[in-house]
Amino acid sequence: MKSETNIKLPLSFIIFGIIAFVVAQSTLFFGHDFIANGQFRVPPIWSGSHFLLLGFAVMIAMGAMYQLVPVAFLTPIWNEKFGAVQFIVTALGITSFAILLGVHASYAIYGGAIAIIGILMFLFQMLKTLQAQSKKNVMSYFVIGALSALFLAIIAGFTLAWNFSFTPFVSQDPMLFTHITLGVAGWFTLLIFGFSYKLVPMFSLSHGFSMKWAKPAFLTYVIGLVLLIGSYWLETHSIQTVGWILLCGGFTFFGLDVREILTKRLRRKLDKPFAFAVFAIGIGFFVHLIAAILSIAQVKSPTVWSWVVFFYIMGWVIASILGYLYKIIPFLWWTYKYSERIGKEKVPTLKEMINEKASVILFTLFIISIIGLTIGGLYSIGIVVFLFQGLLTITSVLYAISVLKIFFI
Amino acid sequence: MSLLGSVKAALFEVIDPELGINIVDLGLIYDVQVEGNHAKITMTLTTPGCPLHDSITNGVKFRVNQLKGIDDVTVDLVWEPAWSPDKMSERAKEKLHFG
Ligand code: HEM
Repeated sequence: MKSETNIKLPLSFIIFGIIAFVVAQSTLFFGHDFIANGQFRVPPIWSGSHFLLLGFAVMIAMGAMYQLVPVAFLTPIWNEKFGAVQFIVTALGITSFAILLGVHASYAIYGGAIAIIGILMFLFQMLKTLQAQSKKNVMSYFVIGALSALFLAIIAGFTLAWNFSFTPFVSQDPMLFTHITLGVAGWFTLLIFGFSYKLVPMFSLSHGFSMKWAKPAFLTYVIGLVLLIGSYWLETHSIQTVGWILLCGGFTFFGLDVREILTKRLRRKLDKPFAFAVFAIGIGFFVHLIAAILSIAQVKSPTVWSWVVFFYIMGWVIASILGYLYKIIPFLWWTYKYSERIGKEKVPTLKEMINEKASVILFTLFIISIIGLTIGGLYSIGIVVFLFQGLLTITSVLYAISVLKIFFI
Repeated sequence: MSLLGSVKAALFEVIDPELGINIVDLGLIYDVQVEGNHAKITMTLTTPGCPLHDSITNGVKFRVNQLKGIDDVTVDLVWEPAWSPDKMSERAKEKLHFG
């Protein structure tokens, strides 16, 4: 059975995403003064954060799903032509939305509406594809959970953008927190959990592991999300704390499974980009632990929480994506260029297509930048934020160059 | 070399691009049969739903089809019995350990 997707579709998403990553970091650099003062709800930061989360992270996730869902679930994409239209609508929508957030927020809703149509088309595509899967497995639940969270996150986002343009009909603050929780923790975290159960054993060539914590991880994390969101609306701190403890617990269960998979691996030496994605899991665990402790300690400073969210996004979500992307791109390009030639002539291995040394330098610069930014931000030191956001912007350009170079091999 | 022998030898040249190890040493080949000019290869992959799925089975087809005396190749991809590490050769194990 031929289940592979035509490479052009995932590649379009991925190339768009890489460009958006550079645009995002440049926009955030432009807004460094606001970051240093702990002001995140201002046009340049709205714009930069959505170039990053929608333009880069969501687009990469979509591209990766077009590629991985058919092979991992053994069911072809429902309709690839529809996928191409979906790409165009989503790319136009996200670009116009992120630009409008920066220049004229009260018109952002129009770009946002197009972006939402694009994302809904994607959700429909995935629904149709997953429906065809005969036997659901644990991974399916994570993916379905993630897609449901994405749906709710964009609806919440729409009401936020609505409030910028028309008479508000819901209160902005709890809706913003709900939006961030659903978009960042619901959608991205559940998706990375789900795909890790496939990718970690595959890249480490692990055998005979149990995945016994997968179900508890899923349930605990989802209940944690529900409680956390409930606490914003009920304004009850104790529920928020229980929510964070459950999220931390869910993450721990997932971490236990990953640890077992890695101890049972046959491949001793992991390649660097994959090792970085595994490292990001460590950061993710650490951020969840810190958040739970801060909540128990009743820390309520908005600045501290803003930086927890920042570290959650950059240290866990974005870092995971940057690591896996370094594996996905060579794979896609290899399939396109060499899969017809395997067995016919000497073809490079995937490892030979990337520059591991450069990737280590880039990943190190990335980690240094986000630590520096967090310290500069927490202590409101303008020059530190300026320098480290500058370093992050340069790193993003170098990252883009280093992954786009693969296409010239 | 017999035709069967040539088919088996050719399979050593199909390399798993992720691991950089050929599919015979990885223990992915379960059975090879040649009847007249038709080769039938029964094989597996290390993980069901491996993204290199089509590439590797196509690679097998191409490589074996190139042999003189073979006009037709069938690749039967099976998941039973499931692949396990002890199916690998010592050479492959060593490469994974130190590679
Ligand atoms: C998975 C997708 C998304 C994620 C992860 C996400 C994440 C975020 C984050 C982290 C913020 C806070 C940024 C800041 O304060 O500067 C935010 C704010 C916002 N988001 Fe999103 N977002 C997503 C999609 C959307 C969509 C599709 C829309 C609208 C159509 C939207 C509309 C908004 C608006 C209007 C704000 C600003 C609200 C305010 O500060 O009052 N978002 N989003």
